[in-house]
Amino acid sequence: MQCSTRRMGIMTDVHRRFLQLLMTHGVLEEQAVKRLQKHCYKVHDRNAAVEKLEDFINNINSVLESLYIEVKKGVTEDDGRPVYALVNLATTSISKMASDFAENELDLFRKALELIIDSESGFASSTNILNLVDQLKGKKMRKKEAEQVLQKFVQNKWLIEKEGEFTLHSRAILEMEQYIRETYPDSVKMCNICHSLLIQGQSCETCGIRMHLPCVAKYFQSNSEPRCPHCNDYWPHEIPEIFNPEKEREAGISTSNKKSLRSRQH
Amino acid sequence: MPRGQKSKLRARAKRRQARSETKGLGGAQATAAEEENSPSSASPLLGDRSQNLPTAGTRSTPKSPQRAAGVSCADSNEGANSQNEESSDESYCEDPLNEKVVLLVEFLLRKYQAKEPITKADMLKSVIKNKKYQFPEILKRASEHMELAFGIDLKEVDPIRHCYTFVNKLDLTADDMVIDEENTPKTGLLMIVLAVIFKKGNCATEEEVWKVLNLMGVYAGKKHSIYGEPKKVLTQELVQMKYLEYRQVPNSDPPRYEFLWGPRARVETSKMKVLEFLAKVHDTTPSAFPSCYEEAMKDEEERARARIEARAHSSAMASARAKAKPSSSSCPK
Repeated sequence: MQCSTRRMGIMTDVHRRFLQLLMTHGVLEEQAVKRLQKHCYKVHDRNAAVEKLEDFINNINSVLESLYIEVKKGVTEDDGRPVYALVNLATTSISKMASDFAENELDLFRKALELIIDSESGFASSTNILNLVDQLKGKKMRKKEAEQVLQKFVQNKWLIEKEGEFTLHSRAILEMEQYIRETYPDSVKMCNICHSLLIQGQSCETCGIRMHLPCVAKYFQSNSEPRCPHCNDYWPHEIPEIFNPEKEREAGISTSNKKSLRSRQH
Repeated sequence: MPRGQKSKLRARAKRRQARSETKGLGGAQATAAEEENSPSSASPLLGDRSQNLPTAGTRSTPKSPQRAAGVSCADSNEGANSQNEESSDESYCEDPLNEKVVLLVEFLLRKYQAKEPITKADMLKSVIKNKKYQFPEILKRASEHMELAFGIDLKEVDPIRHCYTFVNKLDLTADDMVIDEENTPKTGLLMIVLAVIFKKGNCATEEEVWKVLNLMGVYAGKKHSIYGEPKKVLTQELVQMKYLEYRQVPNSDPPRYEFLWGPRARVETSKMKVLEFLAKVHDTTPSAFPSCYEEAMKDEEERARARIEARAHSSAMASARAKAKPSSSSCPK
């Protein structure tokens, strides 16, 4: 099947290696993706000019389109780092996790997901999740076991833990946005600026609209009197800084351990 | 068969491109959520996942009136000039198959990542379902996609029981994995843990690991100047990086935990390399640990054999493809 000759999409081993490795990592930050791309060129096509990342990915996506798969770009909700994941668009479920987890574990994830979506902060406490352990489908799970399963979710980059509370990893947001919007149409929150799924963010205390932290940063950039885009009331929260990869790299040399710890979160 | 597969796909793709502005898909199988931002019916989780791709019939109706009529293969094919994409209606005979192909590719990718073998029975049950008789065609197309897009071959290893395995046409090595982390000093700690696991028969309890680490002054809960908080490093960071596996000892009550080598460790290092590290630490040679040495040697042999097989297979595939090319190109009839 010569799908590769359609329009512009031409797959070479450079692209295939890229896809395989991206798939292995689940989700990668943009800097790592760029390194990955360069690495793939080095292995297969040393002399070729490294294509601009956006074009490279569009090329791949044009070939993957017929498979309902795409390399999707997102942004981490807490600090605005661009991230990429290989996302399957055909099935709107959490089937991506199915091969790694048992029925009761998947149900635990669903319960945690629901709590996270319903919460105001985008975080669900460990206690609240564990209290639902009796309601799980499948084999009975004890709280101690459930704690370990939650850690497994963190290790596989489906959840992030912060001080005993859990929220969705950017990987989960990228892979499951469609599923979440369809399954929880009433409780799901959306960002007023970018119109995509919102788990963590800031909200206007007057009219209730919400914005992602990176969206807030961009929208109110160098605005000394930030006002709600919807009701024009004074925006009561601290405006975060826009993520700057250059600044990161400079700061990173002296605090390499801290940086790699942070980057590993996503 | 009327009008070749490939030209049909290409025509559909061109139509799709012309029609849709977004990356959304115009074909009958397009998930409406993509283009119109209106979700399809809330899909039940998991239990029903293979039914989530909208079928040709239901989805096409709202999109364009032409398609609502169920078109038979022969008619629209013969009527349509393969060059004329605009007016003619496309046959949907293949579309229901295409849906299964897409779902099978998703299934295979998951199995590939989980490193699980696949059987025909598995595929029939999870994906193919009512299209049992078209299994060979669906599998063939899905395999072609896997090979083309990912460089992963599906090989039948047991033609009687219909068991399949994956062969990676790309030779992944240690270099491939070191992408997203800067070199951290945790390598030393990791090598020690890998060595303990290896020595204990490829699986070490958490207690056994801590016993060894404590001897070096590394304690759970006590921040180390080089390694950070060791328990977090071992049970979270190194596991997340896929160097280690950390799991509950089966049937342990109260729960106890054990460590195994993670998939990345298996790729980036080897039993022999870890044994050499261990030997250096003890100021001796690998052969000083006879049973480990024997196992490491066997491991080296297996790795070499696997590399040779993979290369032989990929060159066989390449030559088979080269031979097959002329006959498989589409000829519009």
